[in-house]
Amino acid sequence: MAEPFIKIENLSYTYEEEDANASPVLKELSLRIEKGEFVAVLGHNGSGKSTLAKLINMILLPTSGKIFVKGKDITIENMRDEELLELRKTVGMVFQNPDNQLVATVVEDDVAFGPENLGVPSRKIRERVDRVLRDVGMLEYAKHEPHRLSGGQKQRIAIAGVLAMLPECIIFDESTAMLDPLGRRDVMSAIEKLNREQGITVIMITHYMEEAAVADRIVVLDDGKMILDGTPSFVFEHEDRLRECGLAIPQGTELIHKLRRAGISLEGECVTLEDCADLIERSLENKGN
Amino acid sequence: MKGISFGQYYPARSPLHSLDPRVKIILTLLYIVCSFLCKNVLSYALLLLSALLLVALGRIPLRIVLRGLRGVLFVLAFTALLNVFWTSGEVLLFEWKFIKIYLEGIYSAVFIMIRIAALIIGTGMLMTYTTTPIALTNAIEDLLSPLKKLHVPVHTFAMMMTIALRFIPTLTEETDRIMTAQKARGADFSSGGLIARAKALIPVLIPLFVSAFNRAGDLATAMECRCYHGGEGRTRMNVRHMRFVDVIPLFLIVAFGAALIVFNILAIGYTL
Amino acid sequence: MSEITVEKLSYFHGKDTPYEIKALDGIDLKIQKGMITGLIGHTGSGKSTLVQMFNGILRPHEGKVLLDGEDIWKRPKDIRKIRFRVGLVMQYPEYQLFEETIYKDIAYGPKNMGLSESEIDERVREAAEFAGLEPDLLEKSPFDLSGGQKRRAAIAGIIAMRPELLILDEPAAGLDPRGRDSIFQNIAEYQKKSGSTVLIVSHSMEDMARYCERLIVMSGGKIMLEGNCREVFSHADLLESVGLDIPQITKLTMMLRERGIELDSSVYTVEEAFEKIIKLYS
Repeated sequence: MAEPFIKIENLSYTYEEEDANASPVLKELSLRIEKGEFVAVLGHNGSGKSTLAKLINMILLPTSGKIFVKGKDITIENMRDEELLELRKTVGMVFQNPDNQLVATVVEDDVAFGPENLGVPSRKIRERVDRVLRDVGMLEYAKHEPHRLSGGQKQRIAIAGVLAMLPECIIFDESTAMLDPLGRRDVMSAIEKLNREQGITVIMITHYMEEAAVADRIVVLDDGKMILDGTPSFVFEHEDRLRECGLAIPQGTELIHKLRRAGISLEGECVTLEDCADLIERSLENKGN
Repeated sequence: MKGISFGQYYPARSPLHSLDPRVKIILTLLYIVCSFLCKNVLSYALLLLSALLLVALGRIPLRIVLRGLRGVLFVLAFTALLNVFWTSGEVLLFEWKFIKIYLEGIYSAVFIMIRIAALIIGTGMLMTYTTTPIALTNAIEDLLSPLKKLHVPVHTFAMMMTIALRFIPTLTEETDRIMTAQKARGADFSSGGLIARAKALIPVLIPLFVSAFNRAGDLATAMECRCYHGGEGRTRMNVRHMRFVDVIPLFLIVAFGAALIVFNILAIGYTL
Repeated sequence: MSEITVEKLSYFHGKDTPYEIKALDGIDLKIQKGMITGLIGHTGSGKSTLVQMFNGILRPHEGKVLLDGEDIWKRPKDIRKIRFRVGLVMQYPEYQLFEETIYKDIAYGPKNMGLSESEIDERVREAAEFAGLEPDLLEKSPFDLSGGQKRRAAIAGIIAMRPELLILDEPAAGLDPRGRDSIFQNIAEYQKKSGSTVLIVSHSMEDMARYCERLIVMSGGKIMLEGNCREVFSHADLLESVGLDIPQITKLTMMLRERGIELDSSVYTVEEAFEKIIKLYS
């Protein structure tokens, strides 16, 4: 089997605290993520999902275990600067609070920040900035001041800033948690687009089921361990297990499960609302026949 | 506090707005030097005229510029009065008990007012009104870049300035929000003596500092993730190349200074 | 128990500046006593501005805010007293914690009211319980608490003033589903036990549908819809058109209706949808 894009082996992490008996937030976690995949990492607060993101981006070093990105071990200490930059350029990260990740006072200057750090020639930066701003639908705001934009717009600027480094993978660490429904919708469609159209690997950390439903694959973490891994349809089958770890399945799926339990035969996937509507419509037709 | 705008930048399309910020900084310094070259009626008249010309070139409503002067009105009036009453000379205009007003006093009061006003208007027009803070920061970094050879961390200072400018509106909003939250718990910021008021600010300042620290931590992480590693090997999206039109103003200001010196030698009009 | 009424209320952000925006546009409204009301609207609909008028943080430019029939700005010097009667928990309230211990922080409001030590002590403990804080947390520093616990401490700080009307602006923002549910349950319990009036501001329709008896929907600085959940969700398409998220289950029944399946409108819980659909099979 070919080398996966990201390979995580027996990863554990314990935050260093004053009291010695701090319990690990990640316990012997193993995971493989292929290039171009759209993976949602689900879990309640404190399940270890944000720690996982920080480990992949080398903000933290694991207590034990290994992470390989494109076959390269990134958990070694004293990595050379060029290698570190190369890694951070390959795997970009968008954080939760839109206010705390924008650096410049003008939108386009902020988007240029990454490529500037990488020493990209001026003319090339200009081209990239214009292109990525168009990709996230924010080109007309190029000259605006970030603090006057809405949360959703700021978050799309942050995405553009990462895209401008030409990453192969972007990690979204609860990037929609502080947004209103409109902002969330815009950011989600931007994320979907860059995965589907540009083939960028997406690792999306979230606790919104409706958002996770869009992914190719869902990984559920609870108490630092992986408890479920599979397609949304597979993961949503485990309604009780999800509820135990504080997660709720989408309402449409919940309804289908309830109907099935009442003895109604509804066969097929029930991930999106369209799926659910199709199932109910079809089964009512069958009943009529 | 919504819609707060930091600094005095006034967006418009004008020759001054499009001028290279580096040139504007040099012009400002030279303009200040020129204002101190003035010694007689003609040169002060020219100084006043130049300030008005700058306002016209920057296409900024005079009302906005005059509003900027409002803050220093008291200082202006005070220094003018000092000059009127304390300058002695040969032509006595008015005398009452111990108060003596000389013609020289009137002249020097008018001169000092023109100088202060022209300085404020001139520097304002050349820099704050027509240049965004970020452009100004970049220009300062460029102009100071020779100091890098002496191991002065020019880039670091410029980065600090940029981040400060970026976070001023955010933290202003935050302060407003925390004050509202504490007011909702009965905080009283507007009554009591000085000590009571200072004490009432503690519930605002502590959360504000905590939040600022958290933001700083978040921002540092985000910057690292975007490959920030200091100024070394860094490029810039907007590199300004000096154009011919950027050089013209430099010649103009030198000519302006030369004219002032000539006026001084000729001692045209009343001279102090 | 008292009630809040507003008459022809208008407010402008940045009044007399070039940035002037009309945030509230001639609002008439009455908050029903002794129940949980939900105030819904997208960002910029004016909902946060409106609630800051209820406790006199903002002063109306036009119109009146009446508490028990009396204009709250009748004696501007006494506006602080209004803030003790109308408690406002702001968005992300954990940012307002500043004392060394949770106990002291919750006591900040009651202290400002000038209450006696014993009265304060009683209120702090009562409020902590209402907000779902364990008593042993009271002596801890706010900075040693988890995000959810900080949120609860901040809410307790308002409850400790024993307000007649409690307003919460997005009390569950940023929390995970478990935290969200448990905070809403605490609020519902508080309302039941204290009998006070509660107003929750949110844009999460699913939570609102579950916990509120009445809903008020704002858009563009005006009241767009008002009524119980059923009445409001029967206008699901109108809600969607102003950028609000209607509950997923309501969306699903709308879809089914469009496909010619006979379901009456205004379904907003899974249980209800289940009852109605199962009938179609019998």
